[in-house]
Amino acid sequence: MIGHFIFLGLFYAVLAVIGVTILLSLHRSFSDVRARRAEAIAWQSTFPDLPARERVCRHQFTGEFPDRICDRAFDCRECQTHAALIAKRASESTPAAEKAVVFGLDFPLDRFYHRGHAWAHPEPDGTVTVGLDALGERLVADPETIELPAVGTHIQTNGAAWRVRKRGANVRILSPLDGEVIETGAPENGWYLKVKPDGGQLDARPLLRGAEIRPWITREIERLQASLAPDGQIPGQLPTMADGGVPMDDIAAGYPGVDWDAVCSEIFLQA
Amino acid sequence: MATKTKTARYGMSIDLDRCTGCGACMVACAVENNVPPLPAQATPRTGITWMRVYEISNGQAFPDSRAAFVPILCQQCGKETPCVAVCPQEAVQVDPATGIVDQMPQRCLGCRYCMTACPYHARYFNWWDPRWPPGMETTLNPDVAPRMRGVVEKCNFCHARLHSARERAAAEGRRDLKPGEYVPACAEACPAKAIVFGDLNDPASEVSQLARDATSFRILERLGTEPKIYYRTARPWVREAAAQPRKEPGNA
Amino acid sequence: MLSIDTQLMPRTAQRATTRRFLLWLLPWSALLIFGLYGAGLCLVEGLNQTNMDNRFAFGLWIFLDLTVIALGAGAFFTGFLLYILKKSELKAVINSAVVIGFVCYSGAVAALLVDVGQPLRFWFTFWHPNVHSMLTEVTFCITCYLTVLFIEYVPIILKNRKLRQIPSFLVFEFELHKLMPVLAGVGTFLSFFHQGSLGGLYGVLRGRPFAFREGLAIWPSTFFLFILSAAAAGPAFILLTTWVVSKISGKQLVRPEVPRLLGRISGILLLPYVLLKSIDTLVWINSTSPARGFAAQQFYAWKPFGAWLLFAEIAVFGLFPALILLRRSLRQRTGWLVFASILVCLEIALNRFVLTIQTLALPTLPFDQFLSYFPSWQETATFLGVVAYGVVTYSLSFRYLTLFPQEKDLS
Repeated sequence: MIGHFIFLGLFYAVLAVIGVTILLSLHRSFSDVRARRAEAIAWQSTFPDLPARERVCRHQFTGEFPDRICDRAFDCRECQTHAALIAKRASESTPAAEKAVVFGLDFPLDRFYHRGHAWAHPEPDGTVTVGLDALGERLVADPETIELPAVGTHIQTNGAAWRVRKRGANVRILSPLDGEVIETGAPENGWYLKVKPDGGQLDARPLLRGAEIRPWITREIERLQASLAPDGQIPGQLPTMADGGVPMDDIAAGYPGVDWDAVCSEIFLQA
Repeated sequence: MATKTKTARYGMSIDLDRCTGCGACMVACAVENNVPPLPAQATPRTGITWMRVYEISNGQAFPDSRAAFVPILCQQCGKETPCVAVCPQEAVQVDPATGIVDQMPQRCLGCRYCMTACPYHARYFNWWDPRWPPGMETTLNPDVAPRMRGVVEKCNFCHARLHSARERAAAEGRRDLKPGEYVPACAEACPAKAIVFGDLNDPASEVSQLARDATSFRILERLGTEPKIYYRTARPWVREAAAQPRKEPGNA
Repeated sequence: MLSIDTQLMPRTAQRATTRRFLLWLLPWSALLIFGLYGAGLCLVEGLNQTNMDNRFAFGLWIFLDLTVIALGAGAFFTGFLLYILKKSELKAVINSAVVIGFVCYSGAVAALLVDVGQPLRFWFTFWHPNVHSMLTEVTFCITCYLTVLFIEYVPIILKNRKLRQIPSFLVFEFELHKLMPVLAGVGTFLSFFHQGSLGGLYGVLRGRPFAFREGLAIWPSTFFLFILSAAAAGPAFILLTTWVVSKISGKQLVRPEVPRLLGRISGILLLPYVLLKSIDTLVWINSTSPARGFAAQQFYAWKPFGAWLLFAEIAVFGLFPALILLRRSLRQRTGWLVFASILVCLEIALNRFVLTIQTLALPTLPFDQFLSYFPSWQETATFLGVVAYGVVTYSLSFRYLTLFPQEKDLS
């Protein structure tokens, strides 16, 4: 009899633990979605699945580390290493240029750049304008659709800001800040969103700026070339316009056979 | 409501010096218990023989060669019954009132674990659906349920006869059975009267007395399963061949 | 190349063309269908389609079930090492281990359903459990553990390139992953018991002095020996399968330190196993078997199961690979690692064979004979069908899911 109780007791206990685990996961998932944590979780989940070459620490670009992979999903706000290096950098000030030109692409230096190629520009009235940088624009030039968030939508850092569809690629452009969308734009305007930032002003700590842009974009172009080359072939130059040096407005047009979803995922940091 | 009958421990004493190997017990068992005839593809190892007579020899050459016959059936193990311990769904139980190891084919999953456990190889599996040739169904015993394909069966001391005997006794107002009132088919059919059946708990019964006899032994006794089938022989070589694990080498 | 097929694969993975993949799947699918036919015959016509009989009540299927479950132990053991002992290097193989475990256990359960005479009565064990029977314990644990493996498989599927775009899938995967240590713990607990009980199945057979063992309380020594051997075999099998998949796909899937770690773990468990098994054998020869009226030597008088089997089991396939895997210099060479792993897996197969087939071949009644058995084509087909099912499921998982997270940084 006692054997019966022990055996069946253990069995039901195991079933209960399994059942509770599933139910708890489901419950937590529901509350995560309701509390709008889905975007943050998606990023936390995606980041470790990215190859190491897409997770390089920004301080490797500026030569402060020879070889360093970010272990915080690009959230520099709480990173001690970043804070220490920024403090050290502040003491060595360099004159700010107006823009960086890398491989014929213009990167104005009055704005902050997200690793996913969105940029954020704080306006005098306290809002922030968000757009797509030169490299990003050429990757999703002439898209099939652009899905901008409705006015009033709250966007989160590293969550989806807006969506672009181009030749099978379904890209979620990652947001550079937390805030509420107050106006939407278009590629012709040169910007996509006007956002009222949470906390009153833009927290630019996770964003790239100044001297980081050139080494970063140089690396991005290398990665892009590698992703455009079919397996085993030597990466070629990006197709350029007739006057030489400047990449085509629509890079996809130069590579009709390539999996554009894979290329965009590589550059825009999608899984 | 009903008071219990006296607890019995049914057992057998089989006289190996009387057994002629005629096989009447095997046939009677099959007829009594609705064991189906098997298809042509059946082998000696896929047949169902609740009672099975083995032939043993003394290993000598002519003219000293001697044979004996050992009827093997379910030994109704009384202690740590191997098949009862291993059945995952308790489809076999020792009946405390009779000591009979009862098999429930309706609950049997057909996993055959009990068959690997039984050292006497007294359990048989229904490898086919039971099928009786046309006309043979008239020979079926209405008191015994046939089994289905995929389940294990074995000797249960003709349990249906126990029920019939109890019913007859109840009709006469008795609770307890008289000796000889309940006899399995094999014991009844044996022309040499080699099989004696009865209640081992009853010191006066013939089977009890025979079991206590010096010439009685049990097979594989050292395994400790306390079988209730006692074998008797006055011939030492039979006792050695049947009781002790073999001394001769294997198939080297 | 822009087929739907390509879009279902992990973005960073390079896989064979659709045509080559289908060519790969073709023979395995044919084998699977052949296996379903063999199994179907057994289900429809009855178990007379096999060569099992009243003396060989267990045959090829049970032997293979036991072997496959022991090899699939890599799933629980890797989970235990990763989530409970925090050996993070094993993140490189845990997904593959889960899929292997899943196909091993689901295949074994499928084979068992064909093996029993009345498969529709499978629930009787749950309704009338005999808590003293090892087989009850096995049934309960294996069904629970299969559930756990399925639950661990789901997050891997949810992270498929296309499926993960559904936000709620990614959130659920994230939450489930946070509770993975709980599932790993449950899996370890269940595996401990059913790996052991599979050994207990034979150790408790008082009627089979060849297999019968004494032990601790209700558990015979074979209970503990099976757990230890399964824990040793699991990492070896993962090492082996990773190497095989790597060779077939032509990709480097893990960093070199991962198979070295797996080999070392396997060796560390195999050596005490060999030691305990030797002690157990000596106890059996000198005490347990004679007490039941059987001299142990007589069991080995039956050809072809001579004493060489015992020597092979303990020395050739047990001690030898253990010593290889414990030498750091040999672990640096993939050839030695793979060779030793093959020996370890064969050790498991041999050990299970001895307990299932040899036990039943040996006579118990003094006037009985040595018996032989050879599986029928239907039995072989069913077994091959299960293998084919495993290969197909694993191939699909390898193509469309991320089984080896280190692969993306090694190409």
